[in-house]
Amino acid sequence: MSKTMTVDILSSIKGAQPSESVNKLFDVIKNANSSNDNAANTVNRNCVLVSNLREDVVIESSAIEKQIIVENFPNKKNGFLVVAKVIEG
Amino acid sequence: MESQIKKIHQQLVSKQITCTALVQEKLDLLKQNTYKSVNSLLDTLALELAAKVDAKIAKGETIGLLEGIPFGIKDVYMLQGTYTTASSDLLKNYKSPYTATAIQKLLDAGAIPLVKENCDSFGHGSSSENTIFGAVKNAVNPELVAGGSSGGSAVNVAKEYTVFSIGGDTGGSVRQPAGYNHIYGLKPTYGRISRYGLMAYASSTDCVGPLAKSVEDIRIVLNVMSGKDPKDQTSIASTEISEEVIATSTIKKVGYFKNFIESDAIDAQIKADFLASIEKLKAKGIEVKELDFFKSDILVSTYYTLAMAETASNLSRLDGTNYGNRIEAENLIETYAVTRSENFSEETKRRIVGGNQVLSQGFSDEIYLKGLALRDQISENFSKDFEEVDIILSPVTPSTPPKIGDSLKDPLAMYLSDAYTVGFSLGQLPTLTVPQGTSTGLQITAAKNNDELVLKFANFLKELI
Repeated sequence: MSKTMTVDILSSIKGAQPSESVNKLFDVIKNANSSNDNAANTVNRNCVLVSNLREDVVIESSAIEKQIIVENFPNKKNGFLVVAKVIEG
Repeated sequence: MESQIKKIHQQLVSKQITCTALVQEKLDLLKQNTYKSVNSLLDTLALELAAKVDAKIAKGETIGLLEGIPFGIKDVYMLQGTYTTASSDLLKNYKSPYTATAIQKLLDAGAIPLVKENCDSFGHGSSSENTIFGAVKNAVNPELVAGGSSGGSAVNVAKEYTVFSIGGDTGGSVRQPAGYNHIYGLKPTYGRISRYGLMAYASSTDCVGPLAKSVEDIRIVLNVMSGKDPKDQTSIASTEISEEVIATSTIKKVGYFKNFIESDAIDAQIKADFLASIEKLKAKGIEVKELDFFKSDILVSTYYTLAMAETASNLSRLDGTNYGNRIEAENLIETYAVTRSENFSEETKRRIVGGNQVLSQGFSDEIYLKGLALRDQISENFSKDFEEVDIILSPVTPSTPPKIGDSLKDPLAMYLSDAYTVGFSLGQLPTLTVPQGTSTGLQITAAKNNDELVLKFANFLKELI
């Protein structure tokens, strides 16, 4: 089986094709000179230090928040939220 | 212009006006307006809040500076119980279950939200034409675009339908419409304002940004919204900027990017006006240095490569099951595909597809990873520049606003029109558009975390140009 996935599958957009305008942007990057100077690669790091990570806490949603989340759900039947049918076979 | 916030505050405190009358007047203006700047009005909520402010004043209680001040919100921010559509079909019936941190801070300070404002869908655009609510018209000339993506917010401020508005800036989406509509618009240092509750476009450059008619109002609103937030781990602690500190300028050295001004793409009048502003600075004894920078097409391509990759990932949750209007098909995968195909705009689809292209095996090394490396070099370039100058001054856009309809025909031209804003986004720097210097304004940029210097220089320019 081919492992290649086309952009329409990757994007979950029917019939999607790469755009000519966007490809022109990518061509500029392909042809750009990027320096191999490793010193430059430390500038833009925005990672959060482990010591600065917040504690994992479970926060109970308020009643109104839960109600709106349910309200937003696109399909309901007999009090249940209905998801689309999963792939068969 | 003087601070509108302080002026209205004074009028409320001295009982020259009531908050209810003020809010009603602004709501009427928003309702009747023909600029397509409104996605939904928050009239019930706004009038309830206004009545509370009036009751407080009647009892002789002290009110805070932002209490009773009406403001607008770009329709990509959560405000519990209100529709947050991102100007898209996919979320046209989506209600915010919670409130964004930046907006909550304004509510806590007593400001009154009036309106969810029209914008490019998911922030995807530079003209506010990519929206299901109709193209936003420019406040100065309604035949032209308002700019984008925070076009509705800029127009509402320019027309004084709101006292200030909260936009979002990923690659210029606050600064460019501010320039097109002749107002102030700030993209603060990345992380200064929490993005919790802002619909993510490109997380590595997304910023919350205020639009207003004076530097002072920008300062007031920035101070209220800033601060570290445990709900956004990229947020940073910052100190309050005082009015006194930014009142006098100590800035001695200003730089500008030579290649921006020598480019063939720049409008002749914008170029001439920019260079005239530079001469005025020199005449004031400020040392002006020409700086070398990356070519505009490299900046635009680097920005769009990273932004598309990030938006492809961020918008993958919009599938009709986790979020959004579902269109049922024969199975789950088909349901995802049909839902997204029918509900996303052409521009949004173009960006998602572009993002998935650069993230695919075989392409990521030569495009995406190279884009990341280029961003590091751009940041390094900025670090070196700010060892030599205090401020970088730049035009906001190479050209004047296009006519409504023109940008949609030529996406590449629209991407390239962001040439002067995207570099500062990639550098995560604080940048303010001021409505001076050229017909689409000037951008004032300082080193990371030096938002104070940006406001200081804006005050200085107010007197000078």
